[in-house]
Amino acid sequence: MSALLQIEDLRVTFNTRYGPVTALDSVSLSVNAGETLGVVGESGCGKSITALSVMGLIPSPPGKIAGGAIRLAGEDLTQASEARMRALRGAEMAMIFQEPMTSLNPVFTVGDQIAEAIMLHQKVSADQAFRDAVALLDRVGIPSPDRRARDYPHQLSGGMRQRVMIAMAVSCRPRVLIADEPTTALDVTVQAQIFDLLNEIQRDFGAAIILITHDMGAISEMADRVAVMYAGRVIEQGRADDVLDLPQHPYTRGLISCIPALGKGEDTLREIPGVVPPLHMLGAGCAFADRCAHRAPRCDSEKPLLQAHGHHPVACHAVAEGRI
Amino acid sequence: MTTLLDVRDLTVQFALPRQGFFGPRPMLEAVRQVSFSLEQGRALGIVGESGSGKTTTAMATIRLVEAAGGQVMFQGEDLLQLDDEAMRQRRRDVQLIFQDPYSSLNPRARVADIVREPMDLMEIGTPEERRARVTELFRLVGLRPDQLNLFPHQFSGGQRQRISIARALTTNPKLLVCDEPVSALDVAIQAQILNLLARLKAELGLSYLFISHDLGVVRHVCDDVAVMYLGKIVEMAPRDALFDAPQHPYTQALLSAAPSLARRKSRGYVRPVKISGDPPSPINPPKGCAFADRCPKAQDVCRKVQPVLEPIGPSRVACHFPG
Repeated sequence: MSALLQIEDLRVTFNTRYGPVTALDSVSLSVNAGETLGVVGESGCGKSITALSVMGLIPSPPGKIAGGAIRLAGEDLTQASEARMRALRGAEMAMIFQEPMTSLNPVFTVGDQIAEAIMLHQKVSADQAFRDAVALLDRVGIPSPDRRARDYPHQLSGGMRQRVMIAMAVSCRPRVLIADEPTTALDVTVQAQIFDLLNEIQRDFGAAIILITHDMGAISEMADRVAVMYAGRVIEQGRADDVLDLPQHPYTRGLISCIPALGKGEDTLREIPGVVPPLHMLGAGCAFADRCAHRAPRCDSEKPLLQAHGHHPVACHAVAEGRI
Repeated sequence: MTTLLDVRDLTVQFALPRQGFFGPRPMLEAVRQVSFSLEQGRALGIVGESGSGKTTTAMATIRLVEAAGGQVMFQGEDLLQLDDEAMRQRRRDVQLIFQDPYSSLNPRARVADIVREPMDLMEIGTPEERRARVTELFRLVGLRPDQLNLFPHQFSGGQRQRISIARALTTNPKLLVCDEPVSALDVAIQAQILNLLARLKAELGLSYLFISHDLGVVRHVCDDVAVMYLGKIVEMAPRDALFDAPQHPYTQALLSAAPSLARRKSRGYVRPVKISGDPPSPINPPKGCAFADRCPKAQDVCRKVQPVLEPIGPSRVACHFPG
C-alpha cells in the first residue's frame, strides 16, 4: 500500500544572482495517515522548502519544481492546476506556520478568519461557519471561545494565536497537516501545550502530520519516523527510535550529541565544526564533507546516495564502506 | 570564595500610559524585590518565560535599565548609587553579550574596530597595545587574524557571537551578562559557543549572569540557577539540586515541558506535569502567588498570601506546598 503523502525524487531549483541553485535534490519522503513524520535540520537545509513544495506555495519565479512528484493519495500535486491546488489547500492539506502573528490577518477577528476558511471549502451559511469556528476554538483549548472569536489577533497571546492557527488548519479536517516550526516563537510551557494539542488532534482526526523542527528533543517526543536533512538532501531517515538511538550519519550523530541535555551535566559538548555551506557553493561531493571527521577523497568527488544500511537508509560513504 | 555581586530587593517599574488626561500614570512592576548573589568565578543562570523579568533583572543590575529600588553591591560598592562618570569607569568590569548577533554589531564598522572600541572609549593602552590585544582576543575566541578587517555581514551567526564575546572581553571584565547568547543560533553552532563560554570562564575566572529560557543550556553552563515568574524569583538552588529535585511546581512544569531525547513517543510518553494557560498580566499581578491560577497544587491560601523564599535543603523556594 502506498503512503497517503509520498514525495518522490523531488528537485526544486531557485534562480539566484549566483545562477540557478538546487534547494532540494532527490528528496523522497512519505507519511501515512495517523503518523507523524519529523523533518529535522539546521537553517537552510531545505525543511521549509519541502513543506512549501507540498502546499504548492513555492514562489515561482524564482523557484521551480524541476523534477520528481508529490503524490497525495495517488494524485500528483506537481501536475495539478492552480484551481485544483486551491481546492486541496485547506481542505485536504493544511499548514501551520512559525510566526502566528504574521500569518493571521490583523484587521479581521479570529472567528471571522476561521469561518472564512470553512466557507471556502464547505457549503455552509456564514452563521453556521462562525458557530463552527467557535466550536473549533473550544476544541483547541481557548477559554471562553465565543468571546475570543470576536477578538483580533493582537488581543491574543502568542500561544493563543498559534491555537487559532491550528483551529484554522484543522477546520476542514485535512488529511495532511504540516507544522513548520510551530513553537519556535513560544515559551516552553506553551510549546508543551501545543505539542500535546497536535497529538490530541491526530488521535481525533487521524491526520498525517509533518513536523518540521530543528529540535531533536521535539522529534523524540512527537515523531514516529524522522528524516534528517542537510543542504537540500535527506541524509538519513528511519523510525524515530532507530535514528535517535543508533544514528549513523556523522551529521545526525553530531546533532544529537551537541544538545545540552537536561539529564546530565557533562563538561564539554561535542560540537560540529564550521557551518552549513551556502547552496551555490556545493561541489560535486558530499555537502557535509568540510565539517566531517570521517572525510575521505571519495567524499569530495561523489555525492553519497541514500542507501539502506543497518536499520535504516543513510547517505554516507564512510558508513557504506564500514569506516564508521 | 569572594562575593562579586550581591543584589538586594531590586525593583524595576515601568510607567504605563495615563488612564485619563489628568489621571496618574499607573506603574507596572517588572521586577519585584529580587535578591541574589554571585560569587567570583561562578555562573548564575536566570530562567523563566518571556515577560518573567529575567532580562530586566540583569539589565537593572548593570544599570542599563533604571531600578526603582534596591541595592546592587558590586565588590562592596553600590552600583545604583554611583554618579555617571564613576559608573562609566565601572563598566569596564561589567560587560554584556546580546541575544541577536545580527543587530548588536555595527554593520558599517570593521570587526577589529568593533572589538577595539571599548579600549578607545576607556582610553586603555597605546594604539599598538590595543591592536595587539584585539589580535589576542580574536585568537582567544577562535577567530583568525586574517578576519580582522572584515565586516559583520561576512560572518555567520556563530562567528558574530564570537565577535560579541571578544568585544565584551576587551576590557578584562569580572562580570559578563549573557542575555540569551545562543538562542538565535542553530544547535550545532550553539554547542560551539557554549563550549567557548565554559572555557573562558575556566581560563579567565569570569563570572556569568546567564539569562536563558533553555534549561538544557543553563544546566550546561551555570553553577546556580534562579527561576523567575512574573518578576519574582520562585526558586533558587545549586544546579544539581534544581534539576534533580525541583521544589516549586513551576520549576517542575518547566522541566517537564522542555523537550528531551529521553522522552519518546514510541514509548507512550505522556507529560507528567501539565500546566494550562499563560502567565498573568504584570499590570495587575494577583494578590497571592502569581502561579496559583496555573498551578496543579493551588489551594485557597495560595490565592490570598504571597509565598516568600524559604530554605528547603540546598534550595530556596517560594511556595506554600513545595516538593
